[in-house]
Formats: sequence, structure tokens, C-alpha cells
Amino acid sequence: MKLAVVVQRYGADINGGAELHARYVAEHLSRHAAVDVLTTCARDYVTWRDDFPAGTEIVNDVPVRRFRVDQPRDPHVFGRWSEHVFNHSHSFLDELKWLSAEGPKSTSLLRHLHSADAGYDYVFFFSYRYYHSYHGTKAMPSRAILVPTAERDEAIGLALSPRIFRGVRALMYNSPEEKRLIQSVSNNHEVPAVVVGIGSDIPPRPQGERFRQKYGIEGRFALYVGRIDQNKGCKELFTFFLRGLDALPKGLQLVLIGKEMLPIPDHPRIRHLGFLDDQDKFDALAASDLLLMPSYYESLSMVALEAWALGKPVLANGKCEVLRGQCVRSRAGLYYETQAEFVETLRAISESRGLNAAFSANGREFFQRHYAWPVIEQKYLDILAQVKEQDARGISGSGMEPEPGWFARRRKDLRPANVVLADLPFGPVLN
Amino acid sequence: MADFNIRTDAVDVEQIMRQIRARIESKRGVDYTEQQIQELANVKLERFLNPKGVRSDLVDQFRRVRDVKLEPFQLEPELRTGFDAEMLYGTHRGILRAIRRLLNPILKLFFNPNTLIHAVHKQSGVNALFEAQFQFLRHKAQQRDEVDVLYYELVHNLVLELTRIGIENRNLKMRLESLSSRMDFDERRARALEGVVQYRPGTGPAREPQQPRPRSDERPAPPPPPSASAATQPVQVQPAQPGTTAEEQTGESNTARRRRRRRRGRRGGRSRTPGEAIAGGGAPTDVASPEDSGTPPHGDPTADAASNDTSDADFDDDPAGAGDDRDDSGEEPDPSAQ
Repeated sequence: MKLAVVVQRYGADINGGAELHARYVAEHLSRHAAVDVLTTCARDYVTWRDDFPAGTEIVNDVPVRRFRVDQPRDPHVFGRWSEHVFNHSHSFLDELKWLSAEGPKSTSLLRHLHSADAGYDYVFFFSYRYYHSYHGTKAMPSRAILVPTAERDEAIGLALSPRIFRGVRALMYNSPEEKRLIQSVSNNHEVPAVVVGIGSDIPPRPQGERFRQKYGIEGRFALYVGRIDQNKGCKELFTFFLRGLDALPKGLQLVLIGKEMLPIPDHPRIRHLGFLDDQDKFDALAASDLLLMPSYYESLSMVALEAWALGKPVLANGKCEVLRGQCVRSRAGLYYETQAEFVETLRAISESRGLNAAFSANGREFFQRHYAWPVIEQKYLDILAQVKEQDARGISGSGMEPEPGWFARRRKDLRPANVVLADLPFGPVLN
Repeated sequence: MADFNIRTDAVDVEQIMRQIRARIESKRGVDYTEQQIQELANVKLERFLNPKGVRSDLVDQFRRVRDVKLEPFQLEPELRTGFDAEMLYGTHRGILRAIRRLLNPILKLFFNPNTLIHAVHKQSGVNALFEAQFQFLRHKAQQRDEVDVLYYELVHNLVLELTRIGIENRNLKMRLESLSSRMDFDERRARALEGVVQYRPGTGPAREPQQPRPRSDERPAPPPPPSASAATQPVQVQPAQPGTTAEEQTGESNTARRRRRRRRGRRGGRSRTPGEAIAGGGAPTDVASPEDSGTPPHGDPTADAASNDTSDADFDDDPAGAGDDRDDSGEEPDPSAQ
């Protein structure tokens, strides 16, 4: 079987959520089938500027074909189109222009997909909201399997999105919340789908003490791993932490790992260590008391899964339905929505040994049952077997609906994406 | 933080969150609903604000500024003038006016100037209206500026007052804590004292005759050098001397009694010995004062005496009280010797 993984950026040093997800899946599927990765030359997710050379290279034993981006993204133009389609009534043509403005637009990549159509049995498209996913799915709907990595943001309220969700052969969801969100907006219940998520290679014996010695960290600490950005809820995290210092467990520090995109408060109990490699990251997790996940929007938190794999409780932002659902289902973490809840939940996890021990055991069990690599790989292989069997029986999906005609696509009768989004169900899926 | 006793397989995160929220609620009281917040926001400031306490004339001034009535705007006379054909063709040069009139029919062959005149006339009316609006808004803005200054001052004073109240509240809390701890201590002390009061069967509670306050010049005799023999010598309990009446026994000098009482007070309420009581007048006196609260209730007098011996021996070691200890041994000094 020959498979392709199509993703907007790719590289061993690219750590964006969907990109890392794609790399892990490509590397693990390559043990079961021939896998090509098709991607752009971009490294920067803001401009999609070509940074890598075009052509083929091998990354961790997986062949990667890079294609040039037609033109870098103009953030101002993209911002204007986003404002228009998210907040105003608009036309289908406006949405197509928004998609082009968002990019990364690479016609050579799409051409390659067309030309190699016969070569690939199935193509995994990562992230529904990008140019390659829409046009790639439109080009080869019978072979397209989508890993949507959808979050509760406005893009899902566009009229383009349900067309992709209904048009692909299968969907690999990250969480039950994502599945409900997509099924609500697109009514695609008949498309084969599975909630699979992503695994992680957990080192057998992470050394917490080594981390403490290397970075000179003593005492107890709560850990945050990820981009230190306002969009990730870090500003609120800093506010809650500093305001609640008096009530927090004595000596508890906040240790941050990740690239700084936001000014970090200068306080002796807040330590920023910058970007660390995987070994240091796992050592830090092993040394920590708990992991903090302040993000509002997540389709799946890999670092939360890694924390659970190491028996560490997670304290998540309750406003993010996915994180909240994960905490509830795993029975291995708590969530907060207000300052008072932040302090009390942090104290409960830090000071209650019984609770901490229960969370630790539950987290390990949850990871092993749902997110160990053999489980993930098997789910991918199962869905491939399912669509292959459908192909054998002559069922190849309905494909993507045809686009509106010349006049219809110019009719400004589509609701603002924000309005559509507001009508979608919200909250964790607890069953 | 109360520990959560939870089995691994029985963890219910939602239940834990409900417990945590209940705890938060019990700590800070019930949250205000949106409606309650609106009601609080709509309450008139004057109901709570005492003008005397904030600033002498702030609220009055505030009301005065608010009550200013705007005068109706009077349009300038030249602005009130409309636009007509006369203005279009008019001039102070008579010949020119005549030529214009003469050529006016020809002009009207090209376009209709009446429409133009009508439009310009309406435009001048619109201009006047906007001018009036502008003047009105300008006036309002001026008023707003004045009110803003007052608002600023008002908020400033409120912040000051709140801060002062906050500090006062904290002081009062501290005083309350101090008073409550003192009251607790007094209650405990009172309970302890009540527990050791002696009641003699058949006698009922008897009060010791009130003693006059000791004079300041009545000080204990200077202590003799401490002697080991005095400390270890057993105390002999002597009966009352025959031939002395109870009046005489109790009639010993008040000074000696006061000394004994003062000494007992220094010893932390140690008991009178039974021998002392006997020497003092036969039947032991029921103790009702805190000074005697250390007396074991009832019991074997010998045992009492023995225990008292020990206390006396301890007391002998105290240089400050050593001089008076001879009185405490049961050997009452001769009143005539005083």
C-alpha cells in the first residue's frame, strides 16, 4: 500500500501541533506501508515563506517532497478577508478568496497530487482549514482521508468546511468533542470515522533529578510546556498565578518551557527555560508536580497526554472543551475557569496525596489504553482496511459536492462564520 | 486543604469540581447574580454618600452642574438669511444688474436657474441647522468636561475613603481577635478556679473576712542566707496553744496575715497548710479566694502537710521569700514581737 501524508509544513525541528502530529503519523505508518510526505518549503506559519529547498529529502527515514509556495501570505490581506467572512454576510467566492489568502497556496503540490493520483492508494490530509486540504480533497475525494485537527474557531463556521467534512472517505478525529463539533456543522455521520488522537514516544526512565541539577531548580513546581503566547492562555495563567501567590502551596514555582511570544513577568517564582529538547522536556515532566494547560483552543493536547503517561496530573483551562473533556474522561486532572478555581484546584492537586496518587494511576492507565502507539497505529490500519473493503465493494464515497455556479457563488447569502459557530454545541463530551 | 480520600477507580472529576466550587462559595459567600449587580449599579449614589464626609460642596456642585439649563440657540442673523434669485443676480452696479436681467431669458435657455436657487436655499437652511446642532453639542461637551472633573474628584475621594475604611476594618479585626483571645483566657481561668473551690460539708460557702489592702510600707523582711537544713527540715505541725481564744488566734497582727497572703500570691496560689489553719483558729477556713486555689480538696491532713512540706522546701530555695518562710512553717510568730 502506498500512502501520502499532506501537511502545510514538515520537518524534524517543526513543532506545531498539526505538523508534529503529521510527522509522528507518517513515521509510524511507514512501518506498515510506503509513505511519502508532501509539503511546502515553508517554515514560518505566518507568511509561508519558502525556507526549505524544493525537492525530496529524507527525514527520519521518511521521504519528504517539498513544493514551492506560489506566494507568501500577506497577513493584512488575510486579516481583512478573515474579518469579512467571519463577521459579515458573504458569498462563496469570498470564502474561496479567504482560503487563497490564508494559503499556503502551492499549485505545484496540487499538480503532483493529480499526476501521482494513481500512485497513492490513500492520502492523509492534515488540517482541514488550509488550501491544500480543500483543493486536494476536491481533486481526489475517493482517496482522501482527513485528519481535521479542528478547534472551536471561526473557520469551522465557513461554508467550505462542511463540504470537506462530507467529501472525504474517512475522518480521523482527535477527540470526541472535535467529532461532535464537525458532525454538528456538517452532518457527516455516514462518513467512516474514528476518534484516534496521537501517541507519543515516552522514554522509559525520565530523570527528574537530572533536570533539576541541569537547570538549578529546587522545590516543587507546576510546569507549562508550549508556545508562551496570549492565544495559549499564558497571560491569564500569569495573572492567576501571581494574584493567587498567597493562597498557593508554599514554595510552588511556575516553570515555563517554550518559545517566548509574550512578556513573562519577572518574579522569583516564575522560571522560563526557553525551548528544550525532548529529553529535557520529559525530565522536566518527571520532576514536576503537575502540568498546566491554560490554552482556550486545543484539538488535542499532546503534552497533556505525555504528562499522563508519566503519571503527572494536569490542570487545564475549563473553557477549552477538549481539555476539560480529556480531564473528565481520563479522571487524571482538574480544570479551572476562574481565579478562585485556579487556586483551589492547584492546591487540591498539590496538597492532597490521595487525589494526586489517584490521578497519577488514572493518567498512566488512560494513556496506555487510548494513546499508546500500538493502539494508534491499529486504529489507522483499521480505518484503511475499512475504506479498502468499501473500495472492493465499489463504495467509494459521495465525493465533494460541486461548487456553486458563477452567479450563485457571488450571492452574499452566507451567514457570518461567527454566527454559525455560536449555534454549535459546546462543552465536554462525557459519555 | 482537606485531603480527598478517593479510590483510583472511583475518581469523579466533575464531583471533585463541585466540591471545590462549594468550598470556594463557602469561603467568599454567594456570588452576585447579574440581576443583583444591575440593582446595585442602579442605586443612587446620594443614598450612601454623605456630602459632609467627602467634601463640603462636592455633591451640591455636582447637582448644580447637572441642573444647568441650556439656553435655546439663537442663529446668527446673517445665517438666518435665505438664498434667493436676488442674491444670485444682485449687484451694486446698476448697469450690470440691468444687463443681467436683460440676458436672463437667454440664460434660462441653457438651464433652469430656479432649481439651482432652490437647492442652494435649502442648503443654507441645512447649514443653519447643523450650526445649531454643533453649538448645542459644544455646550454639552463643555458641561461634560466640568462633570468629568467632579467625577474624578468623587472617585478619588471614594477611593481614599475606601482605603481608610479598609485600614480601620483591619485594625478592628485585630482588636477583636485580641479581645476574644483575652476573653477566652479569662473564661478558662474562671473555669479552672471554679473547679478547685473547696466546699466543706455542712458549712456552706463561707467568705473569708475581707482584708484591708496591704500598705505599701509593709514589705517582707530581708531574706536570710539560704540554709540547707531549713530546706530539708521537716515541718512540724503544732496544735493551737491552750489558753488562747479564737479571737486571739485570729487576732494576730494583720501585718503577718497580709505578709502570708502576699507570699502565697507570689507562690502562685499555693495552699495554706492544715497546720497553719489549725494554728490560726482550730477549724480550717474554707478557701474562696484565688490565692488559696492550689489547696487539694479535702483529703488526709497529713498528706496535705507532707505535700506542703515539699512546697515549703521549694519555697525556701527562693531567696526572695526565704525570710518569710519561718512564718509559713506553722509556727506563728508572737504578735508582741511585731
